Parts: sequence; C-alpha cells; structure tokens
Amino acid sequence: MNGRRIMIVEDEALVAMMVEDLLTDLGCEVSGSFGAVGEALAYLDDDKPSLDGAVLDINIGGEMVFPVAEALRAKGVPFVFATGYGALPRKGFEDVTVLAKPINFGHLRDAVHGFGHAA
Amino acid sequence: MLDMAEHDLSDGEGDSALLTLVETIEELSATRTIDEVAAVVRSSARRISGADGVAFVLRDDDCCWYLDEDAIGPLWKGKRFPLTACISGWAMLNRQTVVIPDIYQDDRIPHDAYRPTFVKSLVMTPVRTRDPIAALGAYWAKEHTPPPEIVAKLQVMARATAAALESGRLQASLNKELERRTFLMRELDHRVKNTLASVQSIASQTLRTATSPQAFNESFESRLLALSQAHELLTKQAWGKAQLREILAAALRPFGGLEDGRFVVEGPPIEITPEAAVAVHMTLHELIVNAAKYGALSVPAGKVFVAWRVEDAAGSHPTFALEWRERGGPPVTAPGPKDEGFGSRLIRRGLSRDLGGAAVLDFLPEGLVFTFRAPLSQRLAAA
Repeated sequence: MNGRRIMIVEDEALVAMMVEDLLTDLGCEVSGSFGAVGEALAYLDDDKPSLDGAVLDINIGGEMVFPVAEALRAKGVPFVFATGYGALPRKGFEDVTVLAKPINFGHLRDAVHGFGHAA
Repeated sequence: MLDMAEHDLSDGEGDSALLTLVETIEELSATRTIDEVAAVVRSSARRISGADGVAFVLRDDDCCWYLDEDAIGPLWKGKRFPLTACISGWAMLNRQTVVIPDIYQDDRIPHDAYRPTFVKSLVMTPVRTRDPIAALGAYWAKEHTPPPEIVAKLQVMARATAAALESGRLQASLNKELERRTFLMRELDHRVKNTLASVQSIASQTLRTATSPQAFNESFESRLLALSQAHELLTKQAWGKAQLREILAAALRPFGGLEDGRFVVEGPPIEITPEAAVAVHMTLHELIVNAAKYGALSVPAGKVFVAWRVEDAAGSHPTFALEWRERGGPPVTAPGPKDEGFGSRLIRRGLSRDLGGAAVLDFLPEGLVFTFRAPLSQRLAAA
C-alpha cells in the first residue's frame, strides 16, 4: 500500500483531518483534500500524476459529490463513499462501497486494499 | 352512585348532545390543518361520547401514530406502534368499528401497552372507511358495553373528520407534516453521525500528541466541551446561520467573554452556515486555549485583539479578512515542525477547509498573529 495516492473530498474539517491521518497511517499519500465539489473537479481537470483512489463524502456543504464520482469513473480511478446519511439514493453508483461515519479504520483499510486491485 | 359509564339520554340532554355534534361538524369543516382537526376532535369527542378519554390516531405508513388525546390519565400521545400491534391499526386495516367491553378479554388488544393506563373498555372507529387514514378511539375506565347511540355518534364524528381531512388543503398539510418529519429524522441522523465522526477525530488526534493519559483527558475534555458549545449555539438558532460575533462570544465565554477587558473585538455582522460555524468555533477555541496556556491570556496584562472586515476593492471578489493578534504575553517562540499538535493543525487548516481561502499563523516575538482571508460566499456572507 505504500505510496498509494488517494484524494479526499470532505467538507467537515475535523473529519477530513482524521481521514488524512488514517490514510497516512496506512502508508498512503494524500494527493489532495478538498472541501468543495468545484475544487475537487478543478483538481481532476488538471493533468496531474495518476490517482490510485479516492474517499468521497456524499454531501459536500449541500452539494452532492456525484459529479466528482463521475469524473473519477471516467478516469478509471476507484473510489468509496463515506457518509453520515443512512440510505442516500445514489443512482448509478449503487455498486460503490459506502463507509459509514464514524469511520471504522478496518473498513477504510479494506477499501484502500480494494483500490489496488482495480489498477 | 355515579356511574361514569352511564349515559342517560333524557330529551333535553339528547337535544344538547345533538347540537354539540352539529357544532362539531361545522367546526371540522372549517379546519385547515391536522392540528386544528385534532384540537376539534379532542375537545368534542369526549363531550359527545362521555368517555373517560379519547384519542385521535393517524395512519403513518405501517404505523399508527397517536397524534392527540384528551383523557383522565395518560394514554399514548406522541407514540407510534405497528398497525398490526394495536387496535387502532386493526380498525384501520379492517375498515370496521370495534367495540370492546373488556379489553383484557380481547386478543386484538396489546395488553402490555394498556396495563399502565386506566382503560378497561373502548370503541375504535376508522376515519374514512374507503381507505382509512386515521382512527378515533374512545376509552372508559371500567368494563362496560358502550351503548349503540354512543358508538353511532363516534362514527358520525369519524365521518365528519374524514370529510375534513379529505379537503385538499388538509391533505397537503398532512403530507407536508409527514414529509417534514421524515426529512428532520434523516437530517438528525446525519448530524449525529457527523458529530460522532468529529468526536472520533478529536479523540484520535488528541491522542497522537498527548504526553500522558491525564494530558489527554484535559485536552480531550476541553475540546469536547467546545464542540458541545458550538452545537448549542447552532441549536439556539435552529441550525440556521450563525453570527460571527456570537460564535466568538460563545468561544470566549469560558475565558471571561466579550466583556472581559482582555479582549478587544470589532467587525461588521458576518453570517456563517452551521457546518462552517462549528469549524470556526473549534478554531477559535484552539486559539484561546493556546493563548491561555502560552500566550497573551497566560498573564493578567496580556490582551487579544480580534478584528475583521470585508475588503471590497474594485475589480476583485469581496474578501473576508480576520486578524487575531496577541500582545503583552510572554515572549513567543515558534514550535518546531514536529511539535505541531492537533491545535495548530486545526488553526491552520480548519477554517480554509470549510470556508475556502487561506490561514496564516505567525509566531511573532511580541505576540502570536493569526490571519485568515477568504472570499465571501454562500457559507460566509455579510449579514
């Protein structure tokens, strides 16, 4: 898992910082951490070195994260959702893993493991 | 001997009872909302039936919801039960009026739910027989068989209630109420989970740099309290936008509050969305705790100057600029990169995460200076 580059989209500062710590503990590199859908999309638009995966909060300050999910899917980058909502409709993304909040470290680790296989 | 269950229909009493029924029907036809229907039903049904208690039960998907009641003792107001587990549900599902002279002899009654109540006999009649959406219950404190005329009156009331509920505006109000409830429940669930995730974050990050269990405890507790205060402020404003000055006041309260001479605060009204407000509160909390431990607030002569403004230069987007400047404290030394704890990390990043923009922490020898600049936005607006 070393050096795997992961992007985070999460609007709550405290939660974002914790996910960054957890990913760093797993030996990953946090390539970007964004609190707004627009910022994340702008990042993906630029031709950056390849991403290995992403952790996406679903509700980003009132905006749904699905445009970012679409962009990642188009680039072939695997991702998981993290959410405090129980059962949020996510048309087109029903097969994507959803991590419940508060985040379970083991589940996050399994998810990141899963990113490796996709590449 | 007064028998509460007896209803003596002398001519005079019969006429006045009829009048009450007519008045009730008229009142029902004038209602506009579910609450108004419940109020009319509650006050009239008891009078008309002479029962010891009445309840107005709404059907909510596969649950029965005891919306309102008027009784000599508590029943189930506000509670919900599966339709299959209560007699109101039975009446609604089977579209029939039920008369039960002794509830403990009837299997359709959930006896455990009734034992704490005064109820010994009841009548339950569905509202709208075609497709019942509610039920009217009348309860008595002794076993008896309610006379047919009482049952008939309750059924008439139920029909009038159905007609009232049927009216378009009431239906809309009902749907809106149920929708709102579902929305609120989901929002609550979401906020609680996010709050728990915040607590998880605070705990794990405080743990990383705590030098002892005692130190962890102190730090963790202080931050937990700050989080709780942030939420309290938001609850006061019904989770609407919060004023920057109020957030600052709440964060400063444990250290003397805005009125304390050590704080000099000025700036125009600024509104912040709830989620960002929590981050702002937590960041201010870290700044204050840091000032109290190592900075200007650790000595009596020290002062903290907090000032903010909106910069509206021609040609550029309006920018919010805030400065936290400490003076008169002990000489400041910048912490090494390895020493940066959760506190400074949150101070540097917490605000920019939620509001955009950038934060700078300057350890000037005469006092710490924290500056934050961000474009005005939907989350951060001039009030």
